[in-house]
Amino acid sequence: MHRSLAVVISVLVLTIIAPPALQAAETVWSGLVIADNISQPQPIPSELTRIEGLLKKFFGYNQFQVIGQSQKTLKTGQEDWLATSKFFGLHVDARGEIQRGYVLNLKLYKEKELLLETEAKLSKRSPLVIKGPQVGGGQLLLVLIVQ
Amino acid sequence: MKTFEEKWTAWLDDQLSGRELSEFEGSLPEKAAAQAEKAEAKKLGELLKRELTARPLTNEEFFSHQLRERIVQKSGEQPRKRARGSSTSSWWTIPRLLWAGTASLAVFLICTILVMRQERPAEESQYLTQILNARVDPVVSPNATVSIFEVKQDRATVLWTEGLQSLPADYAAK
Repeated sequence: MHRSLAVVISVLVLTIIAPPALQAAETVWSGLVIADNISQPQPIPSELTRIEGLLKKFFGYNQFQVIGQSQKTLKTGQEDWLATSKFFGLHVDARGEIQRGYVLNLKLYKEKELLLETEAKLSKRSPLVIKGPQVGGGQLLLVLIVQ
Repeated sequence: MKTFEEKWTAWLDDQLSGRELSEFEGSLPEKAAAQAEKAEAKKLGELLKRELTARPLTNEEFFSHQLRERIVQKSGEQPRKRARGSSTSSWWTIPRLLWAGTASLAVFLICTILVMRQERPAEESQYLTQILNARVDPVVSPNATVSIFEVKQDRATVLWTEGLQSLPADYAAK
């Protein structure tokens, strides 16, 4: 009986004081996406399948094409990078890791012109979608996903 | 006045001397038999002395002796302790202490789980991406506005801008 009690107590204590799992380096995918409605849409890019429902439902388009993208593995949480297309540039400046994600400063440029600036706490479980300017019959979307 | 037995014992031990010795030896009916008996008694005494002297203990015997003494001591102490314990803190036996500890931990865990469950709605919103601030260049897009939507169903956050300068289709180039 003493042995089983000791085992129960050990398990309980270990459960309580068990340290959180070590955090591994994570990759942030950032993309410039043109959303539009056409009669025969192409399949959604693999990077966006996770939020396909949200994109279609929320923005009302049936085709999503990646025109620029960047994949950055964050080690210190202080990195910065650029996702660019021919005319647009998304500058991402990571300003530190928080408990469940990263603090990011985002700047959307049209050529050299700053269109939009925002600061966000990007959660590891929650993608960020930014509606950009209208481009022709479609819409520029900025997407950030921790992979 | 010594009895015959006392004198006999003293004679065997060579404790008699002088007149007392000669008188006692004179009173013996068979002196030769008495002398033989005295010799036998001396032999027996020497034998007993030789055999009964304390023999030094070997290591094993020493330790087992110590062990036995300790067991005897403890078995003597335990009833005393029990008697003392029963009067003061007999309820707090080791199994009861262990059960009490386990029960306390279980209660603590249950409380923790309940508290965590209550806080879950708040935590869920913490899991969502948060927009801390957003700014549109007022010169380029003077009428632009920004709105934030937390789409909990899809666990996503949308920053919705309205009124940004529209661009021709050429800008969709890769």
